[in-house]
Amino acid sequence: MALSGMRGLSVFISDVRNCPNKEQERLRVDKELGNIRTRFKNEKGLTPYEKKKYVWKMLYIYMLGYDVDFGHMEAVSLISAPKYPEKQVGYIVTSSLLNENHDFLRLAINTVRNDIIGRNETFQCLALTLVGNIGGREFAESLAPDVQKLLISSSCRPLVRKKAALCLLRLYRKNPDVVNVDGWSDRMAQLLDERDLGVLTSSMSLLVALVANNHDAYWSCLPKCVKALERLARNQDIPQEYTYYGIPSPWLQVKTMRALQYFPTIEDPNTRRSLFEVLQRILMGTDVVKNVNKNNASHAVLFEALALVMHLDAEKEIMSQCVALLGKFIAVREPNIRYLGLENMTRMLMVTDVQDIIKRHQAQIITSLKDPDISIRRRALDLLYGMCDVSNTKDIVEELLQYLSTADFAMREELSLKAAILAEKFAPDLSWYVDVILQLIDKAGDFVSDDIWFRVVQFVTNNEDLQPYAAVKAREYLDKPAIHETMVKVSAYILGEYSHLLARRPGCSPKEIFSIIHEKLPTVSTSTIPILLSTYAKILMHTQPSDPELQNQIWAIFRKYESCIDAEIQQRAVEYFALSSKGAALMDIMAEMPKFPERQSALIKKAEDTETDTAEQSALKLRAQQQTSNALVVTDQRPANGTPPVSELGLVKVPSMSNVDHSSADHGVTQANGTLTVVDPQPPEPSADLLGDLLGPLAIEGPPGSAVQSERNLVPGTEGVPNADDALAIAPVGEQTNTVQPIGNIAERFQALCLKDSGVLYEDPYIQIGIKADWRAHQGRLVLFLGNKNTSPLVSVQALILPPSHLKMELSLVPDTIPPRAQVQCPLEVINLRPSRDVGVLDFSYKFGTHVNVKLRLPAVLNKFLQPISVSAEEFFPQWRSISGPPLKLQEVVRGVRPMSVAEMANLFNSFRLIVCPGLDPNANNLVASTTFYSESTRAMLCLIRIETDPADRTQLRMTVASGEPTLTFELKEFIKEQLVSIPTVSRGPAPPLPQTQPTSAPAALSDPGAMLAGLLH
Amino acid sequence: MIQGVVVMNDQGKPRLVKFYDYQPVERQQELIRSIYGVLCNRAENVSNFIRADSIFGPDTRLVYKTYATLYFVFIFDSSENELAMLDLMQVFVETLDKCFSNVCEVDIVFNFNKVHTILDEIVLGGQVLETSSSEVMKAVEEISKLEKASNSISLVPKSIPGWQTR
Repeated sequence: MALSGMRGLSVFISDVRNCPNKEQERLRVDKELGNIRTRFKNEKGLTPYEKKKYVWKMLYIYMLGYDVDFGHMEAVSLISAPKYPEKQVGYIVTSSLLNENHDFLRLAINTVRNDIIGRNETFQCLALTLVGNIGGREFAESLAPDVQKLLISSSCRPLVRKKAALCLLRLYRKNPDVVNVDGWSDRMAQLLDERDLGVLTSSMSLLVALVANNHDAYWSCLPKCVKALERLARNQDIPQEYTYYGIPSPWLQVKTMRALQYFPTIEDPNTRRSLFEVLQRILMGTDVVKNVNKNNASHAVLFEALALVMHLDAEKEIMSQCVALLGKFIAVREPNIRYLGLENMTRMLMVTDVQDIIKRHQAQIITSLKDPDISIRRRALDLLYGMCDVSNTKDIVEELLQYLSTADFAMREELSLKAAILAEKFAPDLSWYVDVILQLIDKAGDFVSDDIWFRVVQFVTNNEDLQPYAAVKAREYLDKPAIHETMVKVSAYILGEYSHLLARRPGCSPKEIFSIIHEKLPTVSTSTIPILLSTYAKILMHTQPSDPELQNQIWAIFRKYESCIDAEIQQRAVEYFALSSKGAALMDIMAEMPKFPERQSALIKKAEDTETDTAEQSALKLRAQQQTSNALVVTDQRPANGTPPVSELGLVKVPSMSNVDHSSADHGVTQANGTLTVVDPQPPEPSADLLGDLLGPLAIEGPPGSAVQSERNLVPGTEGVPNADDALAIAPVGEQTNTVQPIGNIAERFQALCLKDSGVLYEDPYIQIGIKADWRAHQGRLVLFLGNKNTSPLVSVQALILPPSHLKMELSLVPDTIPPRAQVQCPLEVINLRPSRDVGVLDFSYKFGTHVNVKLRLPAVLNKFLQPISVSAEEFFPQWRSISGPPLKLQEVVRGVRPMSVAEMANLFNSFRLIVCPGLDPNANNLVASTTFYSESTRAMLCLIRIETDPADRTQLRMTVASGEPTLTFELKEFIKEQLVSIPTVSRGPAPPLPQTQPTSAPAALSDPGAMLAGLLH
Repeated sequence: MIQGVVVMNDQGKPRLVKFYDYQPVERQQELIRSIYGVLCNRAENVSNFIRADSIFGPDTRLVYKTYATLYFVFIFDSSENELAMLDLMQVFVETLDKCFSNVCEVDIVFNFNKVHTILDEIVLGGQVLETSSSEVMKAVEEISKLEKASNSISLVPKSIPGWQTR
């Protein structure tokens, strides 16, 4: 009854096959599992045959995809069965069902070891197979020496030894620390003399693993490998059974050449010569024949030889031979050879000298882009991508674009990404780049990621010459009947910014541009509507003289969206409506976007990040570094207003994305008094976050200086905070790549602390920095409270003070670690040396997961060194008169003042410790204030201020400041001005106009009491 | 290293599944489905190679070959030579052919245990163990003898009732 044992299995398999559907199959399988479970429970009546049968069934069920969560013990227990068939089943099923960490395996270690060291070769083979397939750490610990012995034993059959070699390889690969291979180089060298090709093949695999780990120890094996290769290539002493379709063991040839690639080079000239002879023979002696299997085998050897030649960095001659061969391969009928030809050509790109030869095959490679086999098409795309440079980029990219329309869906995304990257990297000129990207969006919009269109916007924004062209193109695409939403986004954006450049062309009037864009609105998703709203606002702003009809149309749209459920849309609608009702103010706020800082392309970065570090990829990278096009350099044009170069170095930042407390780096540089500190601006880290760049600032688009300001004004309730400092927010100390978002507005916190002496300077989810200050004359004592908000410590805490030159600042030691939920106090001593409006910066960093770094302005500002002093008319006038004119007394007409009543202004002055002396000036529209300034150089110095406002025009006033020290007068005057002016008249960065010091003239008519006072006041 | 050997029919039914790095059963099925999804869309007369990065992770390749109603698939990493893998697959199939004289799907279905035995003589722990079909046959015959001596497994004849239904 030989069949009866297996009959149950066959019947079961047959039943399963006959199940008409998955449901039936599951029922049948469940029934069988139930049956097996029951039988295993009362093991007593179970014969070894039955056990074996059930275990096979389990394996079959497992293969079908059903979880078999019992019976493992039975499978393992079969390993210790005395008879071969049961033992064999036990070994096979155990190694298929269990993983190396399974507890039951431990139970089998002893049996396995006994089988390995026992005399029965068939048992040895079974045990070695199990260990070679699933042996884990404990197996390595207890069995490795035994396995090593078997491998080198001369009394063992090759069948056992080759399994021992691979078993050892597994143990070594999994636990290199456990398997002791010291002194194995000699043994390996001996093993390579092996005549039996089965054992030699396994040994070669073992060698590859050992050499890959430490090639230095195995130099002695190198000549042996070359010998073995010679033996095979010359077909010397190769038994018939190891000849595969007439080729002496192609696997062993391949493996041997693979092993040689793990040695960095071959130094011995004789060995090198012999090897190259063999390689040359392989390269030249391989032909494409009819028999597919023979072809595959001979080319397996050939391609490995090519790889080895590339690795050995051979002479140019042999390299060109290789390229010629590959050129032949990519045109043959046999698809496998074409595939590998393309793949190896891509690897060949790494070899420096051959790119030009590869380029000769460009036409054929482009043809391969249309190969019926997608695997080949992908290789062709890779190769074209890798070989593209400035010289052939136009041909290749245009070919890719053409192919895009017919390409499989599976490839389109990769294709469009690659085309976009190549277009960017190697564009011969910018307009071509714009053309390519727009075509890309047009043909495969779904596959064009946001990164791609963001990038095009960046280039257009940064290159003025390109703007009219881009606008024309965008306008053309809008005429197409059904355009992709991405096209709507990009063209709306470009036209919003630059359509006024086209105003005189037909079809490009603001009205026409508006209506063609607005036509698309019903078809787009909510993410696009905000962009369209921005575009409308910009069109409106550019429409000069204004067109009431267009204005009403656009306003109607804004009003419609004022109640939109989407917060972004709603906010924009409300803001744009409010802004556009303000008329001229719109100009500043809606002005063109500033240039983007130059940065690494997010596309290229993304592509590089996803590239695995295979040889061909690093070749591509290498080449990418070598020769990119110069066409797409974001131009860095100096604005005409002559901002010093420091701020040019990419410091122009998009306001809404920075979480930095922008200390006034520009400030320092632009001042005229020569006592300045430049806070060292760090070159900005290239940010890959294009999304932040583009989508962020869309809400408020204006010159960076005014953007912050306008944002501020839009937030209800904050209008009253004068903040000229924020106009300078655009010159950050350095871009910071923090991912941690601060809580609250850093600039507002700073402003508040300028007026009061304690409060929070900075807060984020992990830390809070509080400040408490005590000011005495020219000295100040600040205490920084560093509070860790977490339940784990903050480490690598660093606080660095960057003092301006007029302040002496000393921070006591800041601990490196702040314990959980602890607060550390760090006193900071400040001495004011001389008058200046510069601000000290606290460069603070810590680590909590990521490295967080913030640069915070310290509220050790000019007004902190003021002491209020109230002066009577008797004291005031003699002082005022004694200071006759510049440089001690400076007068300036200030325009662009934030309108406020005289009473409001008085409050403002008092809050800065400039004490208003009521009644001193009989004119109710004027203000007189006094204060004492303290510094080491000036000592206590009285300062007097007079403000004359114009009730008819609250946006301008005349200010006169007097003190006993020229710098102090200038600094104080500028300081007050900063508090009064809302929107700076020049958008960003330029030096404040030199003080318009007017020679004070004698009073005109002394008879008029008012004039007399005025005269006295001068 | 070879990561796995899968034999499945043209309906995507697994006939032999062997992974050399442990994969839980759900993952195995998922892999089989993904492989089938790729293979069933391949035209004839195309190459035997597919990059398997999206299925198995970075740096993995796959060679496959169709024999009658069966797909044979080897999955491996870049340390192996693609054509050499194809050759090894041919050795596997030729050995099966010798064993079952004109092997067909049914032989493999009903003798999947035997197929496991054969594969274990060709690939061990993801490494090429033996490349000579006749050496493999010798080893397998030896095992069969041992089994018969213990009065156990033998080949199941093809005339099992019901196999024709699929």
